[in-house]
Amino acid sequence: MHLRVYRFDPSVDREPRYESYEVPYQPRMRIMDALDYVHEVLAVDIGYRWLCGSKKCGSCAVNVNGLPKLACWEPVQERMTIEPLSNLPVIRDLVTSRAPYEAALAKISPTLVRRTEYAGFPEPLKSTDVAPTAHLRECIQCLACQSACPVLRTGDTDFAGPALLVALSELAQDPRDGAERAALASDVANVFKCISCYACEPVCPAEIPIVREAIEPLKRMAYRVGSTPGARRAHAFLDTVKQRGYANAAAVAARSGDFGLGALGVALKMRRRGKLKFSDALGGRATPGLEGLRRTYETSEKEDK
Amino acid sequence: MTKVLETDVLVIGGGAAGTNAALKAADRGAQVAIVVKGLLGKSGCSIFAAFTPYFTKTDEQARRNRWRFMIRYYNHYLADQEYCARMEDYMCEEFYPDLERLGVYWRRDAQGNLEMINARNRSLVAHKQGATGPILLEKRRREIQRRALPLYEECAVTSLLGDGERVAGATVLDYRTGEFFAIRAKNVVLATGHSDYLATRATGTREQSADGLAMALRAGAELANLEIQWWHVSDVLAPKSWMRYHLYPNPLMGTLETSRLYNSAGEMFYEQKTHSPGASAPYTEQLRRLCLQVQAGKARWDGGYTSGYDHIPGDIIRAYQHQAKVWGKLGLDVARDRIECGITMHMRHGGLNVDTRTMATTVPGLYAAGGLGCHYLGGFGPASYDGKVAGEAAAEDALRRALPRLPQQALEAEAARVFGFLQADAAGPRPMQAKLRVRQIMWDLGYIKNEKNMQAALAALQEVREQSVPRLRLQSASRVWNTGWLDALDTCSMLDACEATVRSGLNRKESRGPFYREDYPYVDNEHWLCRNIVARVDGEWRSRQQKIEVPHLPPEKNREPFFEADY
Ligand SMILES: Cc1cc2nc3c(=O)[nH]c(=O)nc-3n(C[C@H](O)[C@H](O)[C@H](O)COP(=O)(O)OP(=O)(O)OC[C@H]3O[C@@H](n4cnc5c(N)ncnc54)[C@H](O)[C@@H]3O)c2cc1C
Repeated sequence: MHLRVYRFDPSVDREPRYESYEVPYQPRMRIMDALDYVHEVLAVDIGYRWLCGSKKCGSCAVNVNGLPKLACWEPVQERMTIEPLSNLPVIRDLVTSRAPYEAALAKISPTLVRRTEYAGFPEPLKSTDVAPTAHLRECIQCLACQSACPVLRTGDTDFAGPALLVALSELAQDPRDGAERAALASDVANVFKCISCYACEPVCPAEIPIVREAIEPLKRMAYRVGSTPGARRAHAFLDTVKQRGYANAAAVAARSGDFGLGALGVALKMRRRGKLKFSDALGGRATPGLEGLRRTYETSEKEDK
Repeated sequence: MTKVLETDVLVIGGGAAGTNAALKAADRGAQVAIVVKGLLGKSGCSIFAAFTPYFTKTDEQARRNRWRFMIRYYNHYLADQEYCARMEDYMCEEFYPDLERLGVYWRRDAQGNLEMINARNRSLVAHKQGATGPILLEKRRREIQRRALPLYEECAVTSLLGDGERVAGATVLDYRTGEFFAIRAKNVVLATGHSDYLATRATGTREQSADGLAMALRAGAELANLEIQWWHVSDVLAPKSWMRYHLYPNPLMGTLETSRLYNSAGEMFYEQKTHSPGASAPYTEQLRRLCLQVQAGKARWDGGYTSGYDHIPGDIIRAYQHQAKVWGKLGLDVARDRIECGITMHMRHGGLNVDTRTMATTVPGLYAAGGLGCHYLGGFGPASYDGKVAGEAAAEDALRRALPRLPQQALEAEAARVFGFLQADAAGPRPMQAKLRVRQIMWDLGYIKNEKNMQAALAALQEVREQSVPRLRLQSASRVWNTGWLDALDTCSMLDACEATVRSGLNRKESRGPFYREDYPYVDNEHWLCRNIVARVDGEWRSRQQKIEVPHLPPEKNREPFFEADY
């Protein structure tokens, strides 16, 4: 097997480089076994992190040929370019800092805030009460999803990212929790910045349906509360579509009260390219067949209640 | 000048024992700092705990079963029985409420009843990736963060500092940055665990190099029963990184079925249900039976035998989704195939000699909690209890005393030792090679011991200490996440701990539990129901025995052949 490993020691190197190693294949070998071979047999001091080697600690995720993988869990490939996870600062070589994740976690108050006083063990709770979070509880915080998230890749530091939303959603859907999770989701974690592209789901080693079971419930919750900028935008979007059968940026902006300088800049650029008409903010034609669409709205609103 | 921080209680370790010690010491009003070599709640063996025993006090028969299991099969009569009684009270009254209050959900059915493992000793699960430990620690981790207790992760404690009379703090290497600092403390709780990566195959997590044992030994503490070293028999052989994946030999949740072991001829040689129905954690019995297979040429310690669940109806075993996924990842079907296994060095019964009422060690100011102690084999619950006892005792004592003087000379000497390894040379030899050599020595010593192979192991360890360690050179002298630097420090700890262990084994002239000496192949309760203690004082090895009282459950026989004893 051929390994190309990202090497970067910020204390001495001006820029990253790649080193290549030949590693003999062993049956059932995992990515971690290949890295161990480089460290143990070739006696190379690559910086790489792992603790348990059995998918419990979630500390060994790296990018392999561009995709985040839990090194102890995924099999090796014939040729591997191994790099640190994206969207996190590199400490050395394959080791990234978990500090940004921890800092963001602290902001969403990640402990249970009990609605009522704890009743003593075992507290009344049924499997059905916690069924919605069954998959979320499998998260080992390996941060593979953070690495795969294109919104985080834009450098957006307001968006918490999928791993944080999984943690938040677990608490938000816990029947015992009474904290203002919807507001945290919308204002602090900025859940509406998630574009539901599903890039996080296929890379999750715990196979958590991150968008469907963590993020969408949070969006729904935040949408219902409705008072935050993110929620206002979501409302504005849905309302314009409902009214005319299509979304349009000017109307969404007008309705959600999004008149910041940044928004104006984007709007002007869009206008120049012919993608936006300011007059649309006021009205605009309805598309044919709007009735059908409205019926869909009504059914789904009913289901939501 | 080395930076010095100050605290009332310094907790070393981020597993079941360390996390609870920190929380309980803080509850008592002490200032607490926590240093963890790995990541808190993601390192050490606490994350492997699959289930936690559930005690209620009402059922007398259950209590008798539990005591027999605990004292005879789990601890081979080496447990402190008064401690066991107190620990049981804690498990009945505090352990579950403490964690459930933080939000842990132990599995229940649709009616809200707790789901239990149907063994003689009832257990509960709160699974994440097939294990309970990770969830319990995740909740404690967040609680520690919520309370903003100072936490230093990926920081290795390298030595305990003493002022001649008592422990006065510790030195720390932050290996992410290479910063070396000291923490001055009124009391230190050492909770570095008992599952160390000391043999080629081991259940210990990567960072576990028996630093706690080694540092305590260097600080003059007594260590007891180190030779009572457990091994897992049914752990995955390949890939190597999966050697910590365990095929539990005890009953699976919701059924009385257990996995089976088969030799190279396909003959079944062990099944818990059949061969040790009383034992519920039948590791020593598995090991003895495997030993007979190895001696008959029908298995090796590293393979040549298999384990599986293929005798269990498919619909039952496939319900264990986590197991099924692990097998599936290797292209195997949990209901049809078997997996080749090897033994792994598992947790150690022995450790620091402690007074179980406070977990104080023989060195003033130093407490030991969890697997690191010598009084009980371990477990997530017991380790949590130890953390509570040590944390509270250390805090109460700290609130009454002033900060001890910091021994400047010892601090500078330790800095010189640590930075002494930071020398680069293209030629090596590399620290990892010495580390692998120590693991190989302990693997070769293995399960079947005698005077001769233990003496040979001692000599081999001595050779690494004298010939390799002084010549170790790193690939780079960078201070940032320098794997080689850590490997060098680890090797020193491993050498101290392994030497103490082998010496302790040489002293014990009997066989017991997982400790088998073919030159003393009998259990001898008359002479060896004791803490078998070693210590190093001014470079000299000392040893002594401390009798173990058995007030509640004494052994039935004074002496019996090792292979006939069932514990
Ligand atoms: C494979 C396996 C399966 C098990 N299954 C079960 C089970 O099903 N149920 C059960 O109850 N128990 C089980 N146990 C036992 C139980 O997990 C342990 O007894 C208990 O968790 C030990 O906790 P601890 O806090 O003492 O040590 P650990 O959890 O090992 O923690 C040690 C900590 O010390 C840190 N450390 C080490 N060196 C240093 C240093 N130099 N400086 C700073 N920090 C350091 C480590 O990073 C780690 O955080 C199992 C153990 C193993 C190994």
